[in-house]
Amino acid sequence: MRILLTLAWRNLWRNKRRTLITVSSVLFAYVLATALLSFAKGFQQQMTETLIRQETGYLQIQDALYFDEPSLDHTLAYEEEVKEALAALDDEISYVVPRISGFSLAAKEMSTRPAMVTGILPEQENKIRNLSGNMVSGEMFGADDDYAVIASGLADMLELGIGDTLILIGQGYQALTATGMFKVGGIIEFQLPEQNNTAVFLPLKKAQWYFAADNRLTNLIIMPADTDRIDYLAGALRNRLDDEWYTAKTWRELMPDMVGLMEMQDTVYTGITWIFYVIVGFGIFGTILTMLYERMQEFGILLSIGMKRFQLGLIAFIETILICLLGIAGGILAALPIVYFFQIFPVEFTGEMADYILRFGMEPVFPFLIDKQIFFNQAYTVFGITLLIGLYTMRKIYAVNILEAAQN
Amino acid sequence: MQTVIKTEGLSKTYTNTAVPVHALKDVNLEFKEGEFTAIVGPSGSGKTTFLNVIGGLDKPTKGKVVIDDIDIATMKESKLFDFRMRHIGFVFQAYNLIPVLTAVENVSFIMLLQKRPKKEMEQRAKEMLEQVGLSDKLNTRPAQLSGGQQQRVAVARALASRPDFVLADEPTANLDTESAFNLLDIMARLNKEENITLIFSTHDQRVIDRARRVITLVDGAVDKDEHFERN
Repeated sequence: MRILLTLAWRNLWRNKRRTLITVSSVLFAYVLATALLSFAKGFQQQMTETLIRQETGYLQIQDALYFDEPSLDHTLAYEEEVKEALAALDDEISYVVPRISGFSLAAKEMSTRPAMVTGILPEQENKIRNLSGNMVSGEMFGADDDYAVIASGLADMLELGIGDTLILIGQGYQALTATGMFKVGGIIEFQLPEQNNTAVFLPLKKAQWYFAADNRLTNLIIMPADTDRIDYLAGALRNRLDDEWYTAKTWRELMPDMVGLMEMQDTVYTGITWIFYVIVGFGIFGTILTMLYERMQEFGILLSIGMKRFQLGLIAFIETILICLLGIAGGILAALPIVYFFQIFPVEFTGEMADYILRFGMEPVFPFLIDKQIFFNQAYTVFGITLLIGLYTMRKIYAVNILEAAQN
Repeated sequence: MQTVIKTEGLSKTYTNTAVPVHALKDVNLEFKEGEFTAIVGPSGSGKTTFLNVIGGLDKPTKGKVVIDDIDIATMKESKLFDFRMRHIGFVFQAYNLIPVLTAVENVSFIMLLQKRPKKEMEQRAKEMLEQVGLSDKLNTRPAQLSGGQQQRVAVARALASRPDFVLADEPTANLDTESAFNLLDIMARLNKEENITLIFSTHDQRVIDRARRVITLVDGAVDKDEHFERN
């Protein structure tokens, strides 16, 4: 075996320039694919985390019917059963964020606008999305206050300012009429126009009173201690809660469209990386074929003097694999600092693009994601392609006609 | 003397040509241990085909090639690889050394395939290179050797594993006079010292003049089989 390895290694360097060019093509494809996917995954992670924090949290406990029919009639009772389930899984949970929300009509004198009224515990809510940090005037209420914080777009449309009275009219729990008048104590700004033109926040207790839904929540957001254990936590909660009344759903279940979009993005990026690899694959294939045909006479001689086809095939196979391994090793060494650099100094969008991204509540700054799986997957892919080429070379050698090759 | 190779009714016809070519016709020959034989004849007389067939590189259309009481004409390809490695040494016209191995590695190569002990292998390779006058070129690669030197390494490679016989296809064809004589001296000496059967195909009168047996092939058939006394 040692002689086969020696021969393969020395054969590689018979034409140094060609070998280096082939190794470089593997290296560049590896670096490009890894950098592209690290950027894409970094972007995706940032987008997902933003949405998770703004919308659903990682996990929610809801009324069993709320997901299919999201109305106040399907709010959950925040009672002992839920609290006991949470207490039993205390080690797995970082904190919980209770919310009650529903659509209402917001009015001032003769002006009305649709509004999304959300009852929150500001201290808990700040942990997940730092609402207080987005205040543009006034201040965020405390849990026991009784004033409202409204989004700046809605405030402008209704010409509401700090100290003015906001009138809310809507439908409460079990078809009761929800009406309320709240002083505007703060104005908050969101980048997403839809959110900025509709959001009204009330202290949780006030919102429950307004919706006539004492001690009820539309959703109880659970922030897990370890985001990798969401599925376990969801399962454990489901086991502890009566499934006639409650359900626990992960962000993937809560945002199926988002998951579909991510899968589509993954498919697109995988497709792009495969284009790199197909090009590189043909490059390696061409080089290996040239190497094979150049050495046909040598193969004939080696087979004549008693070398077995398997041994000769193995040499050519090892040569192919060595090219791949050198390319991958070089690729990893080159890609790591690049990805690491862009994680520390992320890609920063400016101008209109930055404004556009900000509208979605995301910072226009995208750090690359360092994920060993990306590095491994690219290595497996290149290795797989090379393995196929290597097997083809072995097959070629098995088909060599000794006499014809030796007399080439 | 023991018979090393025996051919019986050996015929080879190539049918993949416009007209069938009868390269060998009913060749019956015996080669004894230690013989130094030249196979001569004009181009197309079947010299190379004969060497290919008795070397197990090509199959006869008819007849037998008996080596060590085995008819190699009926042997499967997978067994032939092993048989060639253990029983036959080859010297080619174009030297055909492995370019990425040094002289000593080239000479050891077949012994390595035979899985001989490392120490024995190294000692034998050095000894053979010494015999062919290249003890100062042990670690030199073929590209750094002259044609004559490369062919001497090829001879050392062919003989190192102590095969039953060595087949040499026009080994002096690419060599200048001095190198050719030098090589022939070495081969004649090794033939005597190692008692290895040498069979050459050649046009080269210098080789023919050294051979103790000269077989002339004409149109694939044995025309003459002459024995000479030489020193």
